[in-house]
Formats: sequence, C-alpha cells, structure tokens
Amino acid sequence: MRAVVVEKLSKTYRVADKTPGLRGAVRHLVRRRHRVVPAVREISFSIEPGEVVGFLGANGAGKTTVMKMLTGLVHPTSGTVRVVGHEPRRRRAALLRQITLVMGNKQQLVWDLPAGDTLRLNAAIYGIPDAEARRRTDALCGALGLGRDQELTQPVRKLSLGQRMKCELVAALLHHPKVLFLDEPTLGLDVNAQTAVRDFVRRYNAEHGASVLLTSHYMADITALCDRVIVIHRGRLHFDGRLDELAARFAPERQVRVELADPADAGVLSAYGAVEKVEGRAATLRVARDDVPGAVNRLLSRHRVVDLTVADAPIDEVVEKLFADADADASADAERTA
Amino acid sequence: MRRYGKTLCRFWGVSVAAEMEYRANFVISCLTTVLTLGGALFTVGLLFQNGHTPGGYSWPAALTVLGVYTLLDGLQQTLLAPNRAALTEHVRSGTLDFVLLKPMHAQFWLSLRRFSPWGLTDVAGGLALVAYAGWCLGVSPRAALTGGVAVLLGGVILYAVGFLLATLTIWFVKLYNITIAMSALLEAGRYPIQAYPAVYRAFFTAVLPVAFMTSVPAAALRGEAGVWWLVGLAAVSGATFGASCLFWRFALRFYTSASS
Amino acid sequence: MTAWTRRLRAFFGIEYALMLTYRAEILLWAVATCLPLIMLGVWSQAAESGDFVRSPAWMARYFIAVFLVRQVTIVWVIHHFEFLVVSGRLSPQLLLPVDPVWRYAVAHLAEQACRLPIVVVMLIGCLLLFPTAWRGDAAVGPWAPGLGAVAGGVLACMAAFTLRFVLQYTFALLAFWVERVAAVHELVYLLILFASGMVAPLEVFPAAARDAVLWTPFPWLVWFPAKLLMGESAPVLRGFVTLGGWILVLAVINRVVWRCGLKHHSAMGA
Repeated sequence: MRAVVVEKLSKTYRVADKTPGLRGAVRHLVRRRHRVVPAVREISFSIEPGEVVGFLGANGAGKTTVMKMLTGLVHPTSGTVRVVGHEPRRRRAALLRQITLVMGNKQQLVWDLPAGDTLRLNAAIYGIPDAEARRRTDALCGALGLGRDQELTQPVRKLSLGQRMKCELVAALLHHPKVLFLDEPTLGLDVNAQTAVRDFVRRYNAEHGASVLLTSHYMADITALCDRVIVIHRGRLHFDGRLDELAARFAPERQVRVELADPADAGVLSAYGAVEKVEGRAATLRVARDDVPGAVNRLLSRHRVVDLTVADAPIDEVVEKLFADADADASADAERTA
Repeated sequence: MRRYGKTLCRFWGVSVAAEMEYRANFVISCLTTVLTLGGALFTVGLLFQNGHTPGGYSWPAALTVLGVYTLLDGLQQTLLAPNRAALTEHVRSGTLDFVLLKPMHAQFWLSLRRFSPWGLTDVAGGLALVAYAGWCLGVSPRAALTGGVAVLLGGVILYAVGFLLATLTIWFVKLYNITIAMSALLEAGRYPIQAYPAVYRAFFTAVLPVAFMTSVPAAALRGEAGVWWLVGLAAVSGATFGASCLFWRFALRFYTSASS
Repeated sequence: MTAWTRRLRAFFGIEYALMLTYRAEILLWAVATCLPLIMLGVWSQAAESGDFVRSPAWMARYFIAVFLVRQVTIVWVIHHFEFLVVSGRLSPQLLLPVDPVWRYAVAHLAEQACRLPIVVVMLIGCLLLFPTAWRGDAAVGPWAPGLGAVAGGVLACMAAFTLRFVLQYTFALLAFWVERVAAVHELVYLLILFASGMVAPLEVFPAAARDAVLWTPFPWLVWFPAKLLMGESAPVLRGFVTLGGWILVLAVINRVVWRCGLKHHSAMGA
C-alpha cells in the first residue's frame, strides 16, 4: 500500500478584504468584501513507503495547506487524499496512530512543564505501556543526544530552541508513526542542531522504514535527506522527480570552478563561459551544460590548471530560477489572455 | 475505555502539578468563596426583609437554589471554564492541530483536559449550603437522590451551552470571551426563577436555560419538582449535549488552522 | 501643553482604531456587565409586593442608572498590565518618553467610545421593557433630573471611573512582584460588587449596614452617581470629598509603588 496518494487536490479559502487604517476598519464594518483565494490547485502525487520526499515552494506556495490536508486538519475543496489507505479528514484512530506532524513554528509540549510530562501523556493517549514508552523514550533520546534526566526534567520554557525541537521530535515519534510530516522542523536552529535533527530523521527513516514528507527553507536539509523533491508554486505542482533532474531541467548551465597557477584574468576567461567571480588565482564560470566538455578541454590545454571541478548550480539558485520562470510564464499567460 | 481513563488521570495529574506552582491561589480561592457566598447570602437576605418571600420561596428553599448555583459555579471553575479557555487558546495559537492529530475523541480531550483545583472551594461551599438547607427542610433520601441526578443534568446543560458557544471560535477567533458573557448571564441562577418578572422567566427558561440549571434541580432536591419539569430537564440536557457534539463535528469542517 | 494634547489625540486615534477591530469582544463585555439588569428584574418584581420602602418604578429607574454608571466605569487595566508584564512586552513601552499609564487610560476611553452605541441600544431596550422607569408610578413622578443633577452625575461618574482606574492600576503594579494579581484584585471587586449598591440599593440595606458601608469608598462608586443621575437628593459634598480623597491617596501610593516596581523590574533584568 502506498503511504500517500493525492489526486487532483484543490483548496480555496475565502478571505476578507480589509484596507488598513481607521477608515478601512469603519468601511469594513459597513460592507465586507470577500475574495476567493485558491491556495492549492489540482495537485497529484504519491509517496511510497520508506521514501523521503522534499517539498519545496516559496512562502505562501501552499506547502502547509497541502500538509494540513494530508493530516486531515484542513478539509479539501475537491480532489482525493489517501494516507496509508485512509481518508485523513475522517480522523480515524487507525490512521492517526500511524502518522505524525511536526511544525517548526508550533509546539505540542506544555510550556510550563517538563517535556517528560507531555511524553507520559502521549504514552497514555496512544496506549503505549509504561515500560515500552520508557524504552522508546530512551532510544529516541539517545539518537538525538538528549539526556532523559536532564532536558526531559526541566520545564520546556527553560530549554533552548534546539533542545525544544529535539523534545518535540521525541513527543511526535513516541508512537512510532509510519508517515512523518515535517513542516520546517529546523526553523531557526543553529547548524549543529540542524545536523542533529537531519541525522536523526535519516536514522528513523532507515530503522522504521517510515515515509517522510519534509519542507524546509534550508536547502541543506533537502539535499542531505531527500532523493526526490516535489516543487509547488502558487498552488500548482511544477516538478516531481529526482533532485539531480531538477538541476538538469531548470539549470541549463553548470558551474566550473578552476584554480590556475597564475593570477586569473576575467577578460581571458570569458572566452570559455560567463565569469561569475574571480578571486586571485581562482575563478568560477558558468557554462552551458552541452558546452562543458569542450570548455574544460580548452581550459586544460591553454592554461596551467591546478584544480578544476564541475558542479551543478547551488540548489537554492535552481529553485529560485524555477520560481522566476514560473512567474514569467504566468504573467505571459495573463498577457496573452488579456 | 481503559486508555481514556488512564489518559484522564494523566491529564489531571499534569494540570494539578502545574497549578501547584501557584499555591497562594488556595488562600485566594478560599477567600473568594467565603466573600462570594457571604455577599450572596446578604443579598438574598435583603429580599427576605419585611416578611417578603421572593417567588413564594422560604429562606431555606431559596438557599437550595443558591447552593446549587454555587456548586455549578465551582464545577464551572474547576472544569468547564479552564477547558473552554484552553480550546479558544488552541484555536488562536493553532495548536488545535496537535489535539486533532491524536487518536482520541477530540471533544473528550477538549472538555476534560484541564482541571483547576481552585474551584473546589466553591464546590465545597455549595455542597455545605445545600446540605444545610436540606437539613432545615427535612429532605427525604429519595428526594436527595433525585436532586443529585437533577443537579448533574443541570451541569450537563451548563457544559453543553458553554461548549457550544466556545465552538464558535473556530469561525470567529475573537469571540473567545463569549463564555464570559454567558457566565455573567448565568448569575441570574442565584435567585429562584419565580422571583423574576415574566419576560425574564421566559428568557431564562427558553433562550438560556438557567432555570433548568439551578431552580429545577433545586426543586427536585426539595422533592417539589413536578414530573414534567424533570422530564423537561432530562430533555433539555439531552438536547443541548447532543447539539454540542453535532455542532463541534460540523465546525471542524471549517477549521482552517490558518494561523501558521 | 499642545505637545501633550497632540500626543493624547494620537493615542486616542490608534486605540480607537484598535478597539474597533475588537468590536465583537466589546459587545460581549457589554453583555458581561449586565448584572444590574438581572438585579433590576429581581428587585422590581420584589417591589411589586409592596413589602419594600421603594416602588417598582423606583427600583427599575435605580438599576437602569446603575447600569449606566457601571458601563462608564468599566476598568480592565489589571488584565492588560498583567499580560504585558508576564509576556515581557512592558519593557519596550518603558523605553518611550511617555509614562505608559496615559496610553492605558486613553485606551479605556477609546473602548468606552466603541461601547457607546451598544450601551445606547441596551438602554433603550430597558426603557421599553420597563416603561414605568421613565413614566413613573403612583409613588414616584417621571424621570426628569435637572441639569445640575445630570452634570453632577456625569462628574461623579468621571470621578468614580478615575478612582476605580487608580485603584486597579495600583493593584496591577503588584504584578512586578507577584503572579496572578488579577485573582487578588478579584477580591476587591467582590467588595465593590456587594457593598456599592450594585446588587441592591442602599435604601433597602438595614440601617446599620448602610451606615457602615457609607464609610467605605464603595457606595460612592455606584450608588452615589446613580442617585444623582436619578435626580434624587444625595450627600453631594460628602460624595465628592470621599471620591477625591481616595483618588489623591491612591495616586500617591501608586506613584511610590510604580517607582519601586520599576527598580525591581530593572533589577530582574526583564
């Protein structure tokens, strides 16, 4: 059975139009105007058990709305969703026991109490016997580097952001869910904590064969964890495939980094491709995908090259370009229809 | 069932543990109960001057109404109000998401999650008053039993109306203090329903069923309630409870959790 | 002076716009303070029997006046201030070159301005429901207070509002030291509730009880302005002296507590 199947999923919101200021407030009082905003438009995809999928999109692209429809929190306007064979909006216990949702900007831990209390509560809610709950807590805490007698016994408000997120993960995974929805789990964390969370998710995925759908603003999270990415923009699906295909499709140029024996000269190097930057003897060029072998050949034969690497453009740039292209398409469409 | 029982124990354990951080509250809540009861007794006493009997009630009969009111007010402060506040707070901050994702009846969770021990002083005060008034009136054990059930049914109405109104916050987040307005209207339950003018009686019976929360259970306690009043009480409590469940399920369809 | 009025006007503008967005809550607050109307029902019905010294029309008029007084003397600064301290949002306000108390006071006025239409509607409703309140009955004539009485009533309401504000704000300042000050102030509110004439007119109190409460500040907060608005005779001099005296004393205490509180606040590094 597939972990997630989504077909032609759409969601529209009705929002009140409000002009700022006193006059706007008064006018709104008298006559309210509403606008229908499509948040998600006819999205289809599916996720296999054990797959880790990165979910990309700019702010307001509809990622969170999709996540919430997948977890049954928001009811779809149209289309179908199946998560491990269940319709999420029915909120059957059989489904809820197999999924979890972690949100970087919301927390389920009780603010004034130690995280251990919330864990005990969750153990009772999911019907996990106490001994088993302790065993699982120890295992999860061990994997995250949390001390059961330290972080778990302090009131949550006294924990650092990183510790708090780690405790959130323990609370969210205590029932060993099969499908993980992680919405910006590394939001605001420092590099160390980010790596710890990332490693932990990879390990959990490997040990439990769980599927993961992950959104993050940090591309490092995506590249480290996900083989496959789904990109949505303005509520529409723009790409669904392997991470390296994304670069191939949307970044027609590759990066050639070269270190020369002599100081590099931008004027000379521009013969091989667009010069991005020159720093002493090192330079970065941008070369069209098909021209790379020829350009590298010529560089090696004409200059004394110390080091040379070819790489895809950084993934955030690729994604940025993808969104820009999508916007350009959209406005071109709009012009054509107008 | 056992899972729910265990969860409830943990819920209340956690709540009481959190409240114990503010132990001075015990003194405050004792003082509040004493002052409130004293003030209410004084006010009801004023009505009994010059041989007046409000609504035809004797002094101990009026005390049964005041006692039931205080008891329900204690229930309100112990369970109903903290949970309503938590519900609206969940909606406001978007953490309702986590509640909905638990394999547990959401209304059960949202109605019983919090437990504030400080309302128990009012429960105790109300019970003492009812017991004293019952002793004065020489209430039979059978009437006391019927009365106990009737008070419980009154509590169900109180719960259901409050939950119904709190559910509105799913659409109108800003209505979070609608239950404060409701509690203020419930103050009418301190006095026998027969002591009000006809318009008030109609409002507090048909629109906001305050009469069914205090006056009718108190009458049952004194063994004075007619069968039809008791049937009405059962019907109103069943209807409001059913409505609160249905309305909650309906409201969830509109939950957008858009606050993120 | 002009700088001050400009500042206050700016405060009022922004607070009024803010309060307009809270209009649903304000409507509910107006309903939440309807206790005088409940007591209106109880006492006008009780007076029908003729067992009391006052007639049903007088009772209705009294509680409608109490309702008005109550509406214009609603104070909630303690909840707001407690929230600011607990959530740590007070600190940025302390950086401004104006004492935040002016902001809170203006916010109360803005909230009252927003509540005004609701109060008018409720008032009309009550007068329609109890026509004898303005028409009068066999015992009392029509409700026609003189200009002086109305002016005195309005002035008394303003003084009562000021006293309640200063009293509550002084308790609110204790939030610097202790948690849950609102719960402590609830005790004071209970005294106001039962001793001010809000649940029963002082006229029906036993003589000893009446004399006793008149020595407290409470009846002057509700009963006194209500009597003036009714156009009845009231101990005007004693009323205003009591209100003014308490305002003065509490204002001095308030400033002292404020200074100590700020010292404590900065020492805590908040």
